[in-house]
Amino acid sequence: MKLEYRHTYDSPRETVWAMLQDDSVLLRTLPGCKRLQPVGDGVYDTELGLDVGPIKGLFQGQVQISDVQPPSHYRLQLQGRGKPGELTADSHISLTEENGVTQVVCEAEAQATGLLASVGQRVMGSIARLLLGRFFKNVESELKKAAI
Amino acid sequence: MANVFGTTVKRREDPRLITGNGQYADDVQLQGMLYASILRSPHAHAKIVSIDTAKAKQSPGVVAVFTGQDLLGKVGLIPTAWLPPESDIKTTAHHALAVDKVRYVGDGVAMVVAESRYAARDAVDLIEVKYEVLPAVVDQEAAMQAQAPVLHDDAPGNVAFHWQAGNAADEVFEQAEVVVRQRFRQQRLIPNAMEPRSAVGQYNAGTGELTMWLTSQNPHIHRFLLSGILGMAEHKIRVLSVDVGGGFGSKIACYPDEVLVGYAAKTLGRPVKWTEDRRENFLITTHGRDMTLDVEFAGKKDGTFTAIRVKNVANMGAYLSTAAPGVPTILFGLIVPGAYKIPYAGVDVYGVFTNTTPTDAYRGAGRPEATYLLERMVDLFAREIGMDPVEARKKNLIQNHEFPYNTAMGLEYDSGNYELALGKALDMVGYDQLREEQAKLRSQGRLLGIGVTTYVEICGLGPSQVAGAVGFQGGLWESATVRVHPTGKVTVFTGASPHGQGEETTFAQIVAERLGVAVDDIEVVHGDTDRIAMGWGTYGSRTTPVGGNAIAIAVDKVIEKAKKIAAHMLEVAEEDVEFQDGSFQVKGAPSRKASIQEVTLQAYLAWNLPAGVEPALEGTAFYDPANFVYPFGTHICVVEIDKDTGETKILRYVAVDDCGRVINPMIAEGQVHGGIVQGIGQALWEGAVYDDQGQLVTGTFMDYAMPKARFFNNFETAFTETPAPRNPLGVKGIGETGTIASTPTVVNAVIDALSPYQIKDLDMPMTPERVWQAIHKGRDAQ
Repeated sequence: MKLEYRHTYDSPRETVWAMLQDDSVLLRTLPGCKRLQPVGDGVYDTELGLDVGPIKGLFQGQVQISDVQPPSHYRLQLQGRGKPGELTADSHISLTEENGVTQVVCEAEAQATGLLASVGQRVMGSIARLLLGRFFKNVESELKKAAI
Repeated sequence: MANVFGTTVKRREDPRLITGNGQYADDVQLQGMLYASILRSPHAHAKIVSIDTAKAKQSPGVVAVFTGQDLLGKVGLIPTAWLPPESDIKTTAHHALAVDKVRYVGDGVAMVVAESRYAARDAVDLIEVKYEVLPAVVDQEAAMQAQAPVLHDDAPGNVAFHWQAGNAADEVFEQAEVVVRQRFRQQRLIPNAMEPRSAVGQYNAGTGELTMWLTSQNPHIHRFLLSGILGMAEHKIRVLSVDVGGGFGSKIACYPDEVLVGYAAKTLGRPVKWTEDRRENFLITTHGRDMTLDVEFAGKKDGTFTAIRVKNVANMGAYLSTAAPGVPTILFGLIVPGAYKIPYAGVDVYGVFTNTTPTDAYRGAGRPEATYLLERMVDLFAREIGMDPVEARKKNLIQNHEFPYNTAMGLEYDSGNYELALGKALDMVGYDQLREEQAKLRSQGRLLGIGVTTYVEICGLGPSQVAGAVGFQGGLWESATVRVHPTGKVTVFTGASPHGQGEETTFAQIVAERLGVAVDDIEVVHGDTDRIAMGWGTYGSRTTPVGGNAIAIAVDKVIEKAKKIAAHMLEVAEEDVEFQDGSFQVKGAPSRKASIQEVTLQAYLAWNLPAGVEPALEGTAFYDPANFVYPFGTHICVVEIDKDTGETKILRYVAVDDCGRVINPMIAEGQVHGGIVQGIGQALWEGAVYDDQGQLVTGTFMDYAMPKARFFNNFETAFTETPAPRNPLGVKGIGETGTIASTPTVVNAVIDALSPYQIKDLDMPMTPERVWQAIHKGRDAQ
């Protein structure tokens, strides 16, 4: 499943970039993120608690950040395993700035197994968009907080 | 009493079933019962690196956890029973629980047995399995490509078997006046019986007997297979399938979970129950159809059909299920010429392994696929030469006087009156008038479509000698015992194992008619290997033509013996006694008579029996049919398509079927109705879909469209009765004709409706979206 999400921030690209690369911010902004433990080389052990529609449960896995080209692009891969099945996602995130406004574009490809696939497939796209939306809005709140 | 054959007697089983007094496998409750839950692979193809069951074993209530490794050497492989000859078939190892490798999403990896269903289910989540995920392949043609991942090392190229039959040489097509070619996809279907599958096992360590309650269409075949797999003597296993809530082929196979329950019950010394949930039913109970068909059809410009040739690439899933290889080969290939005089016919069939749920029989099993392609080709051919599709059929149907008819595939069609059924259906629907109406509506821009199918099918499986020749590793005869009790009440024991089709009623009608006792005085017992002699079960519309005739012959044996006793009672010679309406009477002196009940009582008292006659009164028959039976008929459907939404509305559906003599018109009609609904389900809505990774994405009723009552108007049904000449009752099967005929009928109607857009074919299911897209493409092309 392929999906794309865009969000614009009234902040300069460097500020948004710094925010997106900050582990403590990520822990606060990633929806349902309970743990984000760096284990080196851009890899994190993580635990995500999800509860949206049929997709419910605790997912244990890894996040890997690579292909980092500050302040314009990075790649984020996620692998998570939980009772309802396994989730893998590969996303490319790019930042562009125009007139002090930064647009973040996330292009992702996600796959699921088990219950997530057989029951969740039809709602997966909208749930993924919902979660991404929450994440980017959370980042926006962080940006506002930081600005104060 | 007499004259109940051919009348509507209400289904005697229904009051029991609708008041919750049925006895399904999951209803069984036993002292000390344990519950099993099975961990299933989330991957379509992966190596099992490690399985850690430590946490699961410590979970509250857990009694045992088994993995594939634990069972090696203790539980045999799951066998394939149908091995088509000269097909180079590869029966690769199918373990009850996967060893080393999983091959489809749902493949069993471990089983937990616990004190409650909940404890077992919870503990399944605590088993940790490390997989090394392998590339998966879900499409059968892709699986045959050189670079495709290989499922089984001993089946290179993933080809499970290659089978050919008939002969339609290149020259026939090269020299033909008209050749039509078309590719069809028979999409994958999920049988969705109302009752999920279930297994209960109970082992008696004292007697060494294992009792299994199973959702089985064929308890004796299950006993036979379980005996081999579990290494137990057959007489120490009892299989019970008392009430079964629909099967449609999905309860023929011997499944890994059934084997596991038997093994666990024996090993743990306590009863064990396993019942699949609906999600498991979607995922692991056998699927149906899934064939890719390339068809060539030749004929003359005057409408004469001359040849048909088919290449069938069938998706068998990850393992060969019990009867699966027989479906795309024997049951499909032999009926490809259908109801027409086609001198040349040939089929070339590949069965292919893929990382999907195993496929097996689904209502009609092979015959719907063959009928679909043939009836679609007839329409395409008729269109090509500008002939009305009904005229094209009439020109080629086998004629009444030509029976028994030998086909290009070597079958001998027993009897038929194809034109009678066609004529009746045309009259019922008002065909000529409909064509006029269609032309009128078309000029107003409305899309009315008329679809016709004139089918014949092969069922009543079947002569045992033929069964042997086509690689079915069993006989296909059937057993019956008719036991008349001292008071004249009757118990019928049938080896056929009905599971919802109403044979408790129709079988009682057979006995009532022949023996002259009331239907209410007759009990029909099925589904118990301890009470009933070996029999082969219910599938392939065999229950009535084979099981029913076995009963008729058993009744005749009862009458034959009773006649001797009656003659002795009436003090006349046996030749002077005739049996009529339940009484033995002296010829020419009808007032001197003895009822069957009076004779029976004397048979049991045995105070004064004629010399050489043993006491008691019962008859047992093992009936091996001389031929298959060939039901036929015509179905016609009228649809209107909404061109703005692409939605197909079924305006009328006419079915004229001929299943020989009809025992119970209401029950026969019910079978036709159910079949039509399932067949239209395939035409318009149903379809199982896997993603590229082999995940079943249609795993719920939200995603897999089941036909609902509100989708249909009344069906207009009728029967013609052309007796089957080769069996005593003159009956043929009616269980599958609906799914065989209705799918092409509806599709022919839809394509007919879309002909103004130059649309010649569409893939099933013909959902509104697919039809709408086709209309728009057609518009753009215009």
